[in-house]
Amino acid sequence: MIDADTDIVCDAGPIIHLDEISCLDLLRDFRKIILPSSVVDEIEKHQPLALTAKLPFSVLRGHNPADDRLLAMCRVFALDIGETEALTIMESHPEAIFLTDDASARMVAERMGFKVHGTIGVILRSIRRGQKSPEEVLSILSMIPSRSTLFIKSALLKEITLRVRKEFNI
Amino acid sequence: MKTVQTEVPEALYNKAVALVSEGWFRDEQDLFSEAIRRFLDTHQSDLMQKFIRDDIEWGLHGND
Repeated sequence: MIDADTDIVCDAGPIIHLDEISCLDLLRDFRKIILPSSVVDEIEKHQPLALTAKLPFSVLRGHNPADDRLLAMCRVFALDIGETEALTIMESHPEAIFLTDDASARMVAERMGFKVHGTIGVILRSIRRGQKSPEEVLSILSMIPSRSTLFIKSALLKEITLRVRKEFNI
Repeated sequence: MKTVQTEVPEALYNKAVALVSEGWFRDEQDLFSEAIRRFLDTHQSDLMQKFIRDDIEWGLHGND
């Protein structure tokens, strides 16, 4: 595993979903985990223990967007305050990765040219980064429907599983 | 309700105005709200699939 040199800006979803399947430690592989203050409020409400994990959390407040298009898109796509705050923080951390499981937030992020991924990406990345074996990741993926509030259609989850099996000849 | 200020191509706007004047929508706001709602309703599932597939590629073969 090479040294982590990537920062992430997190929406509440991935923190909550990873904690639900006991995989929050996968975020240890990032240099800094930037949490917008409103996202912290949301996590405290739904999954408070997640914030007690020994991870490089850094809480930041969002700001008024420098690009008017960003605020307009956040409003048009009805993003919540946490997603909006995270995207304004991405403006000042353009090299970071935005982690969200919300399709609308992800669409806005892509339109703004930000790097954006979700919980599934972080789980699969753990194989490439030497944090988990392919077999361990298959076990984690199988837990998602019963232990996590992350909704993925069963056909899509099966597709992910098959891809991992094929990739690693399992 | 949120107020949104944005720019749209003139031809697109003219078509929207025509639909309103023909009585298909109460006003331009009604038309644009309906257009966005329909877009989100019809694309949410497709978008999630695209995003998950992007995540598979990044997770397995990304460089960060």
